[in-house]
Parts: sequence; C-alpha cells; structure tokens
Amino acid sequence: MVSLDAGELTTRELNRKIKDLAEKSVAEIVVTNPAAQHNLAVGVRDKCSISIEGSVGYYAASQLDGPEISIDGNAGWALGENLMSGKISLSRNAGASVAASMRGGEIFIGGSSGARAGIGMKGGTLIVGGDSGFLTGFMMQKGRIIVCGDVGEAAGDSMYEGTIYVGGEVGSLGSDAMFDDMTEDELIDLWNELEQNGITDRPKFRKIVSEKKLYHYDTLERLERTLI
Amino acid sequence: MYKESRLTGLAPIGDELVKMLETMVHRGHDSSGVTVSGESLDSDLLIRIWADESSPVADTIDRAKETLAVNGGAIVSAEARDSYLRLTANYEGDVPRLADALLKTPGVVLHSIGENSEVIKDVGTPMAIDERHEIKKLSGTHGVGHVRMATESAVDISHAHPFWAYPFTDVTVVHNGQLTNYHGMKREHESRGHHFQTHNDSELIAVYLADKLSEGMDLEEALRESLKDLDGTFTYLVSTKDGMGYAKDRWAAKPLVLMETDSVVAIASEEVALRSVFADELVRTEPQEHEVMTWSA
Repeated sequence: MVSLDAGELTTRELNRKIKDLAEKSVAEIVVTNPAAQHNLAVGVRDKCSISIEGSVGYYAASQLDGPEISIDGNAGWALGENLMSGKISLSRNAGASVAASMRGGEIFIGGSSGARAGIGMKGGTLIVGGDSGFLTGFMMQKGRIIVCGDVGEAAGDSMYEGTIYVGGEVGSLGSDAMFDDMTEDELIDLWNELEQNGITDRPKFRKIVSEKKLYHYDTLERLERTLI
Repeated sequence: MYKESRLTGLAPIGDELVKMLETMVHRGHDSSGVTVSGESLDSDLLIRIWADESSPVADTIDRAKETLAVNGGAIVSAEARDSYLRLTANYEGDVPRLADALLKTPGVVLHSIGENSEVIKDVGTPMAIDERHEIKKLSGTHGVGHVRMATESAVDISHAHPFWAYPFTDVTVVHNGQLTNYHGMKREHESRGHHFQTHNDSELIAVYLADKLSEGMDLEEALRESLKDLDGTFTYLVSTKDGMGYAKDRWAAKPLVLMETDSVVAIASEEVALRSVFADELVRTEPQEHEVMTWSA
C-alpha cells in the first residue's frame, strides 16, 4: 500500500505518481487530502485499487481503463468520464454529467447526481443510489443507468439504445423515450446487483428505453452500400 | 451567509469571499468583485464610486462629494483609494434622485449605493484586488463574489461583477451564463424608465429583480418569476439588504454546489471554494434545474 498526500503534490505530480505505481503493479494506492481538487486520478490504464479519502472536484477518475477507485466524499462535474473498464464508487453526491460517454465498467454513486447523468453513454453500468437530475441518459447509445430514487425532467431524451431503470418518480420522459415492460427476472437481477453495492431497498423499478422514432437509418453509409 | 450573525456578531465576510474566489481563478481572472452585505454603519448610506479616466481622479472625487452635499447629503466619512471613493453619508431624500445626480457628475461611475452593503470590483485576481482595496477587513452578515472571464462584453472595471441594480439600494447580482433575450428585456425596462450603466447582460438580472422587489414581490417570488422571464443559461446569486438567494435555469447548464448548516449557508460554482473556508468534509448538494432558494440574514 502506498499513500499519497494530494495537499503536498501538484495535480500533475499526483497523477503521474498514481500512473507509475499502477504500472509497477502496486495493488493499493491511497490518496489523502484531495480537498475537492479537479482532475484527480485520471488516465490510469492498469488494474489497481485507488482509495481517495475525501471529496474530489471536476473530471475525477476520468479516462480510466482498469482500476477500482473508491471516493469517500462528493464529486464535481463529469466523474468517471469515458470509463472503459473498472469500477468507481462514490460515497456521497456527484455533480452533473457523471459517467459522460462511459463505455464499460461500473460507476456507483451512493448519494444523488446532478443533471445529464450518463450523457452519451456507450456501455457499462451507472448506479445512482439517490436521485438523478435533468436529462438523465441524454443521448445514451448503450449501457444501463439504474437510479434508485427519482429522476428529473426529460429522462432518456434522444436516447438511441440502452436502458434506464428508475425506482422513484420520473419528472417526465424526454423526447423519443418510452416506458417498457419489465420481467420479474429482470427486477430480481437488479435487486441482486444493488445488494452487491450495499443497497438493501428493493425499489419497484420502471424501465425507460428509446422509442426509436427520432433517428432513421434509411441512408446507408458508404461502406454499407458496397455490401448490398 | 451567517444566519445569526446579527445576533452573534458580524462575520468575516470579506475575508472568506476573497479566500473562496481565490480558489476559482481558473474560472476567470480578468476581473473580480464582491458585495459585502449586512455591514454595521453609523450612517444612512454607503456609496461606492469609481472615477473613470475622463478627468483627473481628484477632481472627480471632489465633484462627487459636492454633488452629494448639493443634494442634501451629509458626508460622515470619505475614503479615497486610487480611483475609488467609499463614502458614508447621512441622507434622508430620495435615493434614485441622488443616484441620478451622482451619475450625471462627470467622471463618476456608481458601483453601488447601499444601506448596509457595498460593491468592490476591479480588474485582476481576488488576492490582487484585496491588496488594493482591503476587502478582508470588511465584516457583515452575507455577501456574494465573482471571478470573471469575459465572453460578451468589455473587460473593464464596470463590467466586472457584482452588478448593482441602479438605483435600488443593496440589490446586487453575480451571474454565470448568457441571457439570450437580454436586448429585448433591456429595452422593455428602459421604456419603463430604468437606466443601465453597462452593456452586460448580468446587469439586467439585478435591475429586473430590484424592479420586482420594488413592486412588492418578496425575493423568492422575484427569483421564481425570473425563471419564466429570463431566457438563456444562467445560475446567479443575488444579495439584498437582508437576504440572498440563487436561481438556476431550466437547462441546469451552469454549476452550483450548496452547503447549509444551522448557522451557515455557503454556495459556490465548485466545492473547492467551499473547502477553502470550511475545511471539513461537507455534505453538499448540487441544486437541480429550474430551482430557486432564498435565505434571510
């Protein structure tokens, strides 16, 4: 285990140290005194476990491929942006655009998240233990968003594919989003998944998917045309 | 805002605003400014004047004092610092009439007239302007502050935030965003006799709110009304004589984090600013879209 004091290092130095340690297969890295600074623990592409003891600012744990990161505090905007694989868990509230463009792995938010959670998501799973704000799942293309509490207005607006599960109230459905039926098995699987993250409540989830009326693929791409 | 500082003693609002703003200079370092509200005064009015470059500063300052005297004001204290003048005065007349007279005085730019508040703004970072203006010395009950990265109007002292709602005492605003119906709403306000000192859309918010308050709305009603009338992206904070509040647009396009305890309300664009004053790990929330909230000092 290696401990790094964020108060003693510049962001660049801290991130460089984390990356070096991860590359050298140091299994466990602890970051103390993050004090809501921006851009902490970004760009790590090796498997390791990083524990951040306090709140982080914008773009924390973004551009990751592999690590498991736990953050004991709040996060600013765009936590876990473009996550490829690995897991991020946050104990308190996240700002807007959490999990923006994530492609794989899992992000768990113990509290609530701001607007545009899962914007442009292309894979993986985002779990929000509390509520999620305006435009949840905006333009998502793949993956799952599980919100145990309420979601704000325009949920799933312009989503292409993927699924949003909501345990509480839905402020309103976004453009081209619709409720879909859920099987009993699907619900039980969700509850099991939540239990693994320490959530024992069993919300009666509803499922939001794309109605697929907004986009059309009538015109083939150049490469597709050669296939006909 | 310190909720009970009127009872328990004034808080170091100037010092804490400078600390908070200094952590956010990455958001803008063209200019900075604060409103310190709830100050303890031994006079009726606190007037903040900036002397523009049109004539020698000393002449402008003399003319401003003269205007105040001619209009029935009695100067209690006058503190000149570079091209800035801080006046406290006893005055029992009509404040808009005085404001108008001061504004017509050559070289005078009015940054604020308050019964318990003042606006201090200048080009430069918060620490730099604190060195010039000793903001840290100011105590009060609440306040707002801003660091600016100009996008759509001039980088000069008058276009820095906070914006005071000429000629209404103590109403000031800091704003992050752009108003898309600024010109139409400005014209509409001008046609009803309002006067704007700048070409900055954020000034409109201050005048708009002060106008609503003068019609008898309470602060929360005025903020709610602004969600309907203002178009564009905005998160703004307003400070009045005895309260403050925020409004966030329907797109939730601009950040805001809020921390509230029994004794304190602290709001900022980023948590890092809250942490500069409140060192402990905080329970803080990000207000959602189309929300307003107010507090009384």
